[in-house]
Amino acid sequence: MTISVWRYSHLALAVSSFLFITLASLTGIILSFKPVTEKIQPYKSKDFNQLTVAELIPTLQKSYTDISDVTIDANEFLLVNGTDAYDESGNFYVDPKSGKNLGKVAKENEFFRWVTTLHRSLFLHELGRFFVGLTAFLLFLIATSGTVLIIQRQRSFKKFFGKIVKDGFAQYYHVVLGRLLLIPIILISLSGTYLSLQRFGIVKEQKITHKIDFDALKTDPAKNIADFEVFKNISLHQVQSIEFPFSEDVEDYFTLKLDDREITVNQITGDIITEQAYSKATLFNNLSMDLHTGRGSAVWAVVLAIASVNILFFIYSGFVIWWKRRANGIKNKYKFDQAEFILLVGSENGTTFRFAKAIQDQLLKNGKTAFMAELNSYKNFPKAKQILVFAATYGQGDAPTNSTKFKSLLKKYPQSNAVDFSVVAFGSHAYPDFCKFGYEVNNVLSHQEWAKPLQEIHTVNDRSPEEFTRWATLWAQNSNVELSQLSKLLETKPIKRLPFKVIEKIVSSQEETSFIIRLSPQKRKKFTSGDLLAIYPTNDHRERLYSIGKIGKDVQLSVKLHHGGLGSGFLHNLEVGQMTNAAIVRNEHFHFPKKAKSIIMVSNGTGIAPFLGMVDQFGRVQDIHLYCGFRNQQSFALYENAINKETSLLTKLNVAYSREGEKHYVKDLLLRDQALVCETLKNNGVIMLCGSLSMQKDVIALLEDLCQQDQQKSISYYQSRGQILMDCY
Amino acid sequence: MNNIYKLCLAFAIILSVPTLSSAQKTTKYKCMVQMTNYTGEGAYIAVSLIDAKGAYEKTLYVMGSDKKWYPDLKEWHKAYKSKPTNISAVTGASVTGGDRSVTVFDIETAKINKGYKLRFETAVEDNKYYVKDAEIPLTTEGLAAKTEGTGYIRYVRLSPN
Repeated sequence: MTISVWRYSHLALAVSSFLFITLASLTGIILSFKPVTEKIQPYKSKDFNQLTVAELIPTLQKSYTDISDVTIDANEFLLVNGTDAYDESGNFYVDPKSGKNLGKVAKENEFFRWVTTLHRSLFLHELGRFFVGLTAFLLFLIATSGTVLIIQRQRSFKKFFGKIVKDGFAQYYHVVLGRLLLIPIILISLSGTYLSLQRFGIVKEQKITHKIDFDALKTDPAKNIADFEVFKNISLHQVQSIEFPFSEDVEDYFTLKLDDREITVNQITGDIITEQAYSKATLFNNLSMDLHTGRGSAVWAVVLAIASVNILFFIYSGFVIWWKRRANGIKNKYKFDQAEFILLVGSENGTTFRFAKAIQDQLLKNGKTAFMAELNSYKNFPKAKQILVFAATYGQGDAPTNSTKFKSLLKKYPQSNAVDFSVVAFGSHAYPDFCKFGYEVNNVLSHQEWAKPLQEIHTVNDRSPEEFTRWATLWAQNSNVELSQLSKLLETKPIKRLPFKVIEKIVSSQEETSFIIRLSPQKRKKFTSGDLLAIYPTNDHRERLYSIGKIGKDVQLSVKLHHGGLGSGFLHNLEVGQMTNAAIVRNEHFHFPKKAKSIIMVSNGTGIAPFLGMVDQFGRVQDIHLYCGFRNQQSFALYENAINKETSLLTKLNVAYSREGEKHYVKDLLLRDQALVCETLKNNGVIMLCGSLSMQKDVIALLEDLCQQDQQKSISYYQSRGQILMDCY
Repeated sequence: MNNIYKLCLAFAIILSVPTLSSAQKTTKYKCMVQMTNYTGEGAYIAVSLIDAKGAYEKTLYVMGSDKKWYPDLKEWHKAYKSKPTNISAVTGASVTGGDRSVTVFDIETAKINKGYKLRFETAVEDNKYYVKDAEIPLTTEGLAAKTEGTGYIRYVRLSPN
């Protein structure tokens, strides 16, 4: 499997450092509370920003007999180390305006110190520091490679913050949160790396020494500290600390650490004796400390905490993605020059392999020789009789990374014998270029002299097992292969079944039996109209899906009884009051479009089920036109009650009878109301279809015509924008 | 050892009652430690009163509050462990290279000019340990002079507070 260098690095880095990163994130989360707890202490003075050093020092000297130094911390609290008027020595928080003692500085919190040591050195001293520093650097590389991967995925830098298609929880949020927290994470890792580099002396730490010519020190003119020009020009927010002269001797002086330099000041004349600017390394070190610890800013500390929590999530979701991908590894029983069936897979993240593998298993079970490879491994297959291509489309209609070379390879290696081929294209309607790469592959293959299409190209939307099974069934017939339990092979994980109680069943016994059945979930579960109810009639892998209409808190299904039908027969035999187990399957692409102003719903037969629920849920707020088709009035009668209750909610109800009166189909009614149909599409309205596939085919063909006439736009334009929603069977 | 000490004390009491009263009198001294520009973690410094025989008599100050590192100050820690005292009131922060630290501690006036010494013992994590980084004779001249250090300490200065 070729994976891009970036993806490989991203993974390799993550695997090699995740334990340390986990530890650093956990401790980091705890440490981010430190700046927050400090910031809320009441030691900040209102007048802080207006005061200068010339005002501060005389104030302090009134309240303290002796001061050795004054510090202003990241929270702009003033700390005085000295002896006060009551002869008490120590560190005090002091109000800079009044000189009032606000409280003694507490000893450093033992717990935070313990966590800090763990965070910095894992209690392993230099060795631990080295590993932590290395981890910070690896995290930076992980973030960088992740950025490149997002750019690759979005196909351009400009679309970096564009829409991301949802394909699985772990993958989706890995990308979404990844780009959101990119900047905090890069800052954390870079500042951490820098601090380590300095700690190990790779970045030289600046050590300031003031070289003082003591013979040149002047003792006049003597001035009051309040009149020192230098001190008048330094306001408190520039100051980090002030060291007071140790004695009154002229050889002792003030040392001021400011935000950009250090100065020494003659304590008698107020002249600057020496001045040294901070090196870039020192300034960068201060910045790194601010960014890495969040000191002095509760808001940034909270951002750091969120980023740390998310790093933990990235570790989790990253491994989920990796695990899924690994499960799709290629295993071949036969070599490429032995196999008659060649399965070629084009997949970016490996999910498509699951489908190919299911087919490979079926072939092997049938005693056929099969060989699976990625599209980039295409070559001459001497014994090939069939080439099956499973092609996913990546990003904006492009070839997945493991398929980029396929087209050129195809030209280079023509097959020596005639070979049948079939293409299954995987994609998502959420992208505008639905299955584009699959179509391209099908197209180039059909131009090869040796290639003969076995069947038309099939598309699979959002990895739908049903759509894939449709292709597989047809392929199996064409290739004389017996399919067994394909759906089970495709199953990812069993869905949780919940108990349901039958609370109502209305049967209409016409020439065809249909019925409405209402089930009440006995456990809390979120669902909405358009989701599917999976029932298990024989309590094994065989499941049957029914579209849900949500009425109140209950599930309402409408079912046509098929002769010998597994699902319909099972439901038909349920009595009111009986319990049964079923699962709710989310079917997001057929949820009611809450943002659309007007909606046209089109159904035939039992396809009305989800619409009954949607009208009940949303009819009060949005314009809904319902077009439903039935055989005759008698088959409509079953729904008449329910519909009559809701006609007040509907903007308009249109019923077509196919075996009675004018013998209309729904498409005829839509043709009659074409103005409304075109208007709805133009105004960002939505058309929803539910019912049989033949109805879907007819209606889509009609809509295509209407769109071409009216707006010269293809129906696919609206499909790609989510304005045509379909759930047909 | 202990016996000798007790004997000395008894002897002192018998000999001079006025000395006893002045023995309780203490003077506050301001002490400034200026560090060299070494690189690495903050130094732990123990300031002890050493008697004429070279034995630890009293801990005056400890710069560095994490007990985990106390064993690094080997000799001081040995004495402290055998005769633990409450030092929480005389504990402060460790001192990094290039910085200075100013502290205040009490010295019994009677001990001055009696052969006692002030010892500054230093240790830095994963780095060298100095038993006598700086040692100041507890004499009138010693207390007034600037004493050079031999390890992490550049110099120590004292002045009556």
